[in-house]
Amino acid sequence: MRAGRRCREAGADGPELTRREFLRAAGGLVVAVSLWPETSAVSAAAAGEDRAGWLRVGEDGRVTVFGPIPEVGQGLRTELAQLAAEELRVPLSSVDVILGDTERVPPDGGICAGSAISAIGPEVRRAAAEAREALAAAAAAQWRVRPEQVQLSEGRAVLISDEGTSLPIGDLARAAARMRRRGRAAVLTPPAEFRVAGRPVPSVDGRSYVTGAAKYTADIRPQGLAFAKVLRPPDLGGRLLSAQARAAASQPGVIAVVEEEDLIGVVASRPEAAERAALGIQASWQEGPPVSGFSLYQDLRASAELESELGSRGDVEAALAAARHGYSASYRTPFLAHAPIEPHAALAMPEDGRMVVHASTQRPFQHRAAVARALGLPEGRVRVVCPAVGGAFGGKDSPEVSAQAARLAQALGRPVLLAQSREEELTRNYFGPAAVIDVRCGVAPDDRIAAWDCDVFNCGSRGALAPYAFENHRVRVHACKSPLPQGPWRGMGAPASAFAREVHLDHVASQLGADPIALRLRHLDDAPRLARVVRSAAERYGWRDRRPPTGLGSGFACAVDAGSSAAVIADVEVERTSGYLRVRRVLVAQDSGLVVNPDNMRNVIEGAVVMGLGFTLREAVRYQQGRILTRSFASYAIPTFYDAPAVDIVLQSDPDRPPQGGGTAALCAIAPAVANAVFDAIGTRLRELPLSPARVRSAP
Amino acid sequence: MAESIEPIIISVNGTERRLAVERSRSLLSVLRIELGLTGTKYGCGAGQCGACTALLEGRPVRACVTPVSHADGRAVLTIEGLAEEETLHPVQEAFLEAQAFQCGYCTPGMTMEAVALIWQKPRPSELEIREAMSGHLCRCGTYARIIKAIHLAADKMQR
Repeated sequence: MRAGRRCREAGADGPELTRREFLRAAGGLVVAVSLWPETSAVSAAAAGEDRAGWLRVGEDGRVTVFGPIPEVGQGLRTELAQLAAEELRVPLSSVDVILGDTERVPPDGGICAGSAISAIGPEVRRAAAEAREALAAAAAAQWRVRPEQVQLSEGRAVLISDEGTSLPIGDLARAAARMRRRGRAAVLTPPAEFRVAGRPVPSVDGRSYVTGAAKYTADIRPQGLAFAKVLRPPDLGGRLLSAQARAAASQPGVIAVVEEEDLIGVVASRPEAAERAALGIQASWQEGPPVSGFSLYQDLRASAELESELGSRGDVEAALAAARHGYSASYRTPFLAHAPIEPHAALAMPEDGRMVVHASTQRPFQHRAAVARALGLPEGRVRVVCPAVGGAFGGKDSPEVSAQAARLAQALGRPVLLAQSREEELTRNYFGPAAVIDVRCGVAPDDRIAAWDCDVFNCGSRGALAPYAFENHRVRVHACKSPLPQGPWRGMGAPASAFAREVHLDHVASQLGADPIALRLRHLDDAPRLARVVRSAAERYGWRDRRPPTGLGSGFACAVDAGSSAAVIADVEVERTSGYLRVRRVLVAQDSGLVVNPDNMRNVIEGAVVMGLGFTLREAVRYQQGRILTRSFASYAIPTFYDAPAVDIVLQSDPDRPPQGGGTAALCAIAPAVANAVFDAIGTRLRELPLSPARVRSAP
Repeated sequence: MAESIEPIIISVNGTERRLAVERSRSLLSVLRIELGLTGTKYGCGAGQCGACTALLEGRPVRACVTPVSHADGRAVLTIEGLAEEETLHPVQEAFLEAQAFQCGYCTPGMTMEAVALIWQKPRPSELEIREAMSGHLCRCGTYARIIKAIHLAADKMQR
């Protein structure tokens, strides 16, 4: 799989609304909207049996919001509840949010978990506004007044001229569902009047997290649950040649050993029994390719095929030839693991010719399709439900675990839980792609960048096009033969492309003796939002008058991703002799459109800074002779408590623009900001991630 | 080989439990599978991430690498036993106040470690917090909020 294909990027203005209607459903008012443009494959599904509403007002007055993407820690559940509560004028506690249950929610249209709010948020808001108007109209009809004379407040419809006349919205739900639609779309509440949205309300899931009550996939305990372990091929190997599995069946605690073509699974009454029995099975596998990481970047380049050319402007070759100065360099980033603390898990429960799978995934619909295929069932007989998901970061797309759990459950006719170990999590999943990025830059006599030519290898097109108004601009994206299975990783290829671009710009600025922020601002005519956050970061930091002491450097970088713009300044302490870096402080200025929950947005940005520091300083998947070497948290070192720097955030809310995913723009700018700070501190230009002590020490 | 099974007696969240389980089984597995206390999480199985932290006689242990026999005749406190009825423990309250979580998966382990830390050091410094918590991983990156929550909790517990 090539990186960059899986995730449809919601446009900055959100998807186009194509159809909206009320469904007459038992028990209340359901507002259904078709979110996706007619051209997408999903809208066909949306019009068929899968059609579901976005929002329901029950006769008990409770409001239920339905969203296709699960809560993975991005705060989606709370933000959707806020938007619905705002438009319907109900307390937040009256809103339930059902996410990621294929039987109950609209299809996902391929959107990312991280930017789900940009696609789903506006729809839920509009659906809630439609419901509000329908409820008001229903009350007006009952009271024989005009709808304008009714307003909704605290879960009731109230006659404006006589506040003693009111009805709970639940009592109006049935009548509202029969109201004829007006010819216009419902009026949205102006953000300036928000009382619930736009506020830092606490997470609606918070209490379940701190009490341990939140149920993740492996926490669900249906009657008769059995625990499975599946035989895995060597890391990068493939086909099973033969196996002696029969003896495993007589091991203590083992219920059955399932042998089906490529699948050998041990199902037991306890997880340890399944694991022990599986370990004892002698199997021979066709060995995988003996790939090693030593020549990774050369190999990627050697296997490259041009995939696409993005946004060509002007004549890059001519401009490079005519430039007064030319600066070329190559940048490298390694394979990354997602390493969520909750490993993949799936709980499959056969129910009367149907299969219900609870899965730790960000893509329930994709899992439903895979499970249906694996079992030979129509999709309508498979239901995939996402319980709480313990982090995903782009890594929980692959439906393999769900499909295997379902096959085992079907074979045994009882519920089966298949939960991956940490080692499986770090070796069996796909990885975030490694990348090589070449940049050639030509500078005109007036110190403007006249030509920017960029070749991106292996990490896809997302974020590859620079946000700068370079007169001559060319980006070529090359697909490569990846030695490891690869797929989406938070931000897709955008962090790698931003690393190359922003370090290179810093390099050009230093060669020209220009201020790196001023140089960028000269080229940001086409990106006013980005320019604004760049200015506010510089101002908040006091960039112009900065005087970092010896051994301390400050570095700047900025990026646009998933509709958000972010500017980052990092203060980094460099120990020249040991090569050790300590990131002391990170400043982020960010614009993510309408901010539904400022505290959640800050939380997400803080998290992006920490995750960004992981791949900036340490993270890299290592492999040798077809074997993954980074098999535990000891060898794949993600950030710890010692790595969390002071983070200062300037949020620039833009209430006229839909909410945007806020978890990747700053993530893109961290690594280049730190690398540029290292240059600022000790004059060493680092062009390969991670910025490990060895690289810092040995760099020229 | 099945081991000889003699019952193990553990006080779990204040209730005495007699358990006929293999002595070498992990405390984590017994809590989660036999007792249905699923608030304690599996994260790595090697004591490297802290998601499985429970308190054994008031001391934090990594339940994934602790044989259940170590708890025989002793008291175990898990996240489920922290609140008293509807009243949250001050550390839980502080985590809520600081919104010190995203996906919530590491939260129970973090919370239990923080409880033990404040019992031992009622006023931990920031460095002491980082040291005490350094065996816990949060991939969402909420470390700064957890540090803030622990300061908040220490304040609450002083009062």
